[in-house]
Amino acid sequence: MDRRQFVKLIPAGALASGSLLALNANAQDGKVQDKATGTSGGDQGKVTGPSASVKPGDYKEYMKNIHNPPGSDPFGLDEQGKGIKGFRAVGTGSNVKDRPDADKPVKMKLTREEQDILDGKQGPELAKVMKTVVEHGQLFGATELVELGGAPHSAMFSAPDYMDSCLTIFERCADAGLKAYAPYTINPRPWDLYNEEISSKEATMALDGYKLQNRLDKLHMRLGSRNRKAWSCTSYLPEVGNHPPLGTNVAWAESSAVNYGNSVLGIRSNRNAVAMELMCALIGKAPKFGLLTDEGRKAKWLIELRTKGEPNWGVVGAAIGFKVVEDVPYIVGADKYMGGKVSPESIVKLKMMGSATASSGAVGLYHVEGVTPEAAKQGRDLLAEGYQTYVIDDAELARVRGGYKNLWDDKNGKPTRVHIGCPHATFEEIRQWGVRITKALKEAKQEKVAIPVNIGCSRFVEEHFLDEYPILYRDMKRAGVTFTNICILCFSGLAGFGKLERPVTNSSKARVYTNARLYDDGPLTQIIVTGEVPS
Amino acid sequence: MAKKTYKGRPVLPGELTGKALVSREPFNTTVSYIDNLFGGVTDKAPCTDSDNNELYGTDLSGMILCTPQTIGSTMGGIALIGVAELGVGPKAMLFSAHIDSLSAAGLVIEDVWNEKRIITIDQLGDEFMKSVNTGDPIAIHEDGTVEVG
Repeated sequence: MDRRQFVKLIPAGALASGSLLALNANAQDGKVQDKATGTSGGDQGKVTGPSASVKPGDYKEYMKNIHNPPGSDPFGLDEQGKGIKGFRAVGTGSNVKDRPDADKPVKMKLTREEQDILDGKQGPELAKVMKTVVEHGQLFGATELVELGGAPHSAMFSAPDYMDSCLTIFERCADAGLKAYAPYTINPRPWDLYNEEISSKEATMALDGYKLQNRLDKLHMRLGSRNRKAWSCTSYLPEVGNHPPLGTNVAWAESSAVNYGNSVLGIRSNRNAVAMELMCALIGKAPKFGLLTDEGRKAKWLIELRTKGEPNWGVVGAAIGFKVVEDVPYIVGADKYMGGKVSPESIVKLKMMGSATASSGAVGLYHVEGVTPEAAKQGRDLLAEGYQTYVIDDAELARVRGGYKNLWDDKNGKPTRVHIGCPHATFEEIRQWGVRITKALKEAKQEKVAIPVNIGCSRFVEEHFLDEYPILYRDMKRAGVTFTNICILCFSGLAGFGKLERPVTNSSKARVYTNARLYDDGPLTQIIVTGEVPS
Repeated sequence: MAKKTYKGRPVLPGELTGKALVSREPFNTTVSYIDNLFGGVTDKAPCTDSDNNELYGTDLSGMILCTPQTIGSTMGGIALIGVAELGVGPKAMLFSAHIDSLSAAGLVIEDVWNEKRIITIDQLGDEFMKSVNTGDPIAIHEDGTVEVG
């Protein structure tokens, strides 16, 4: 890989009329009375930043730059890249190792129609899809298939060279006319050549890293995906619309979406491997085991939250993930911070906590007493016999947080970028950050954010926000905030980027997958204004 | 050495003899094949997991892997398909614990769709993992029996 010059585009020109300092005061409170469309303004200039080189095939450089995560979801390694001692997650989101008859062969009972499909009466490709799903399910004790509802969500979203053979398999399905049982959503794309603040060299880097991306895009369209606006890891949000009703069986992939869907929507999905979710989508069925069963949704851990004030939900999630790995936790003491219900405000917290349980551990489902639907209905009856208890207080959170290392190459350097929206931001989350940022800039008598601020979100959510808060949206843009539907992890995970960038984030998940340092909302806002790490 | 016999669950059964390649720590699939997945290496499979003291640098092509379990990325299953299609994948995978769903997905898909079976046995037990060593003669049988020595 050639030496690359990292060029950042940051706003440098004077603002047109209607600058931040002349904001409508109401916008500072996040409630805009005047919903007139905002006008664009501001010139942009180029600033040259640091550079780095990575040799072809140099896996050490590669690994250094993708920053070995400590959790089980991405690599199962600790922060030093060592295998986690005793790590034995089976990756389903529900621990099957305790299944008493796990060593005995299981024969799935199929319906006549399913057997006909398996026998090839609807073509050889669909027969292979059925065979794949059945054989996989039997390994985990499934004795039947269940009908899937709602719509699929796929995590097959990036395509480096090694995806070639996998793409070929699904292209055979598309050639045979197979389609998913419903128009489906997909994780965000690994690049955003339209909105992201990247140079042409960086764009080339992305195109080189994901050479088969266009082939993957085309494949998804042939298999019945929705259009690219629906490519988001938070496809379950109302704006994107993949939010099946309570109790619906689905076969999703993407750890955070499975985690949110099971927990907050109350749908039923195992943590599927990439490719297996598409197999299930093509057949419209999934093997019944793990989180698709009542037993598999019982909690083996009681988590008692006993902090003095409202905690950082991402750190709470990380603590839970480290402790329970892939078992189901039942969390008490969190409802008072969430208004006792699922709401636009509480889903921000649930998303941050849940995605952390799924990235620092492999949690596919959690229950929050008095908040999430199954806990609200069944209460502590959801606790499995012999459950264990884990108390999270301020000291425990400090201990967990104390283990977070500074992974920047230049540990004392200044931050280069702020990542918000991992998983993709909700409407309310964007509103809160819009208010925080514009208010802080106004108080500092400053027009622009000090370093690039990227808010990752679905285009549908961004459009909703623009519609409801056009002035706040305009002022965020004028201040230099970028809205992008990119996968922040893929962006930061590209070989070379980790050496070039010193990102900061509010996302516990992004901290796990990249070299980003985690900050609470207050200090992060300070960084956005000053470009400096708070002392 | 005295021959020892272990009985596991035949996930993808088959008959095979060869020599063991042992990773007592869980084998990290994606990290071990980085050169094949991202580095353009196609004629061999050098283990690129520098933290795997037993296998780092070893050519994994055609191995009979003995490990408690595979771990790592949700890409792990696709990674196995990728290296199998390059012709440098494992010949067999012998797990002492329960197979994980990610490897299972990749191994089943490779078997069903590309008709390339990577013989797989799981739940061979902790004793298997304690006694087997790299280079030991291995005989795998259809019923999930594995002979070491």
